[in-house]
Amino acid sequence: MAATPLLELRGIDKSFGPVQVLHDVGLSVYPGEVTALVGDNGAGKSTLVKCISGIYPIDGGTVTFEGNEVAIHSPRDASALGIEVVYQDLALCDNLDIVQNMFLGREKTSGIVLDEATMEEMAGETLRSLSVRTVKSLRQLVASLSGGQRQTVAIAKAVLWNSRVVILDEPTAALGVAQTAQVLELVRRLADNGLGVVLISHNMNDVFAVSDRIAALYLGRMAAQVKASDVTHSQIVELITGGRSGNLGLPAEKPSEFIDITPGEAQ
Amino acid sequence: MRAGPTQEEVRRHNLGTLLRYVHVHGATSRAELTNRLGLNRSTIGALTSELISVGLVSEAVPRETGRAGRPSLVVRPESGRVYAYALSIEVDRLRAARVGLGGRILEQYETERPPGMGVDDAVQPLARFIRQMRSSVPDDARCVGSGLAVAGMVRREDGMVRLAPTIGWVEEPVGPALSAALGESGRLSIGNHADVCALAEHARGAAVGCDNVIYLYGDVGVGAGIVAGGHRVTGHGGYSGEVGHMVVNPYGRPCSCGSRGCWETEIGEHALLRLAGRTGRTGRDEVLAVVDAAMRGDSQAQHALRQVGDWLGFGVGNLVNIFNPEVVIFGGTLRDVYLGAAAQIRSRLNAVGLPACREHVRLRTPELGTDAALIGAAELAFEHLLDDPLLS
Repeated sequence: MAATPLLELRGIDKSFGPVQVLHDVGLSVYPGEVTALVGDNGAGKSTLVKCISGIYPIDGGTVTFEGNEVAIHSPRDASALGIEVVYQDLALCDNLDIVQNMFLGREKTSGIVLDEATMEEMAGETLRSLSVRTVKSLRQLVASLSGGQRQTVAIAKAVLWNSRVVILDEPTAALGVAQTAQVLELVRRLADNGLGVVLISHNMNDVFAVSDRIAALYLGRMAAQVKASDVTHSQIVELITGGRSGNLGLPAEKPSEFIDITPGEAQ
Repeated sequence: MRAGPTQEEVRRHNLGTLLRYVHVHGATSRAELTNRLGLNRSTIGALTSELISVGLVSEAVPRETGRAGRPSLVVRPESGRVYAYALSIEVDRLRAARVGLGGRILEQYETERPPGMGVDDAVQPLARFIRQMRSSVPDDARCVGSGLAVAGMVRREDGMVRLAPTIGWVEEPVGPALSAALGESGRLSIGNHADVCALAEHARGAAVGCDNVIYLYGDVGVGAGIVAGGHRVTGHGGYSGEVGHMVVNPYGRPCSCGSRGCWETEIGEHALLRLAGRTGRTGRDEVLAVVDAAMRGDSQAQHALRQVGDWLGFGVGNLVNIFNPEVVIFGGTLRDVYLGAAAQIRSRLNAVGLPACREHVRLRTPELGTDAALIGAAELAFEHLLDDPLLS
């Protein structure tokens, strides 16, 4: 496997007002690998992704992309680097067709008119490179697609732009069994084509089915980032729920670190 | 005693190498062939002309390369004109296809195979499919032979099906029966279903570029196609890869092979459906229904999937320790079981697999899906042509 990470975060801190959401978080994303980002609700997964994609500014820490330290101030900076995010809501427009959706906001033009032919060819080429066979026509309205097909279009949209890192937020949530299988195979194929993939999921089967590495967040801290060939399901569950498992994870908390929040007794 | 191969032998070998390259990789420019095959440009030109003259490849100017200079001609296999018939006898299905050089399925047919169907009854529909396809073949097309995949143990030399417990056949001369029903249609090569699927995935699917591959195929039974060190593991008589009959549980259930506690009694379709309380049913849809029910929170289905996943992980761990593969592919209904129980399977594999053996193993689902058997069966038929393209 590749030795140098494509994207590396170190010591990321992020607070919203008085609430510190991310504490000293590190994450490495390697090309050709799926890195699963797991954690309980509120552990900071979405915040971390929004920091990577330039939606939230970070308070501290460094982001390294292909070995160079970079500053990501806006989603535009992230896409310029080749980082694309597929959010849970997919952000597709029902009233547009597949090609229009894939190029929305970044349309190809030839002179002052849209270059429909090139866009259609690029969209078709991208879907073929992902071995997508479930879509009949590229000119179908997105409204007519099933959940799995929508997810496929959203993912294809993310890889259309010579992306290097694709972040997928719960891509299989709310899909049926056959479509979940197709989307998982698509996620795997993205990485096998050489992209760095970050998969956020609550479903441990999905995580183990496609991941090479698993990063577990616990209350805003990175409990551990481990290879999927070195851990068991129960260890990951322990990392998610307790932040540690055996010699993996965060150091044990000492009682002296707890703040007394008993009402009426604070001086 | 000769010192080395003659010039003619070298030329035939090179012809085969070039043809094999475009057969596996599809249309390739002459410039790339020169790089990949390590032959000089004029040799590639001469070999290509010779293959064109016997109608195996064609050459054309590429559309646009976007680069300066005269574009290199693109060599592509004559998929429409050179083809093989591919047949597959599976537990619940009979399938037939016409596959073009380059591994492209040109047309395909399938029908159900009711349980207990005998050899003669199974051969008839396959022969009918072939007659049907033969009538639509263009006049200038050339058939290089036929390949058959059988979900059972097949004797390499004559295509005798020694034992196919899931189909219910013992010592059945399927090869001769099919040849007789087909009449004249060239050579018939027969292989085991999991073996030919492994062949197809290795050549053009999820295991491209891997020299050590285990393809597990599961339905009612479980078999493996194994590639070790770049070569197919066939065994002495062609019967290797019967991993479904590794005894994993000596106190387990009786197996259709006559033994007890074979791996397939713990991970086959019957085991999953029995544990899920759906005894008596069978087929891919039923397996999907169990995975679906487990996803929706049915605790019995979840338990069934977890238990089958556990056993699957144990067995895969053993195979990984023995073969140290780069990739393990879960085919047939094991694909759905893998995707639905990956947490169990990975955890077991990580617990029983030796760290050095398992550290680089990739677990994958097939890329060619159910087409793998047909593409692989055709591969058996193309093998003779690729060994010596001038042999007619």
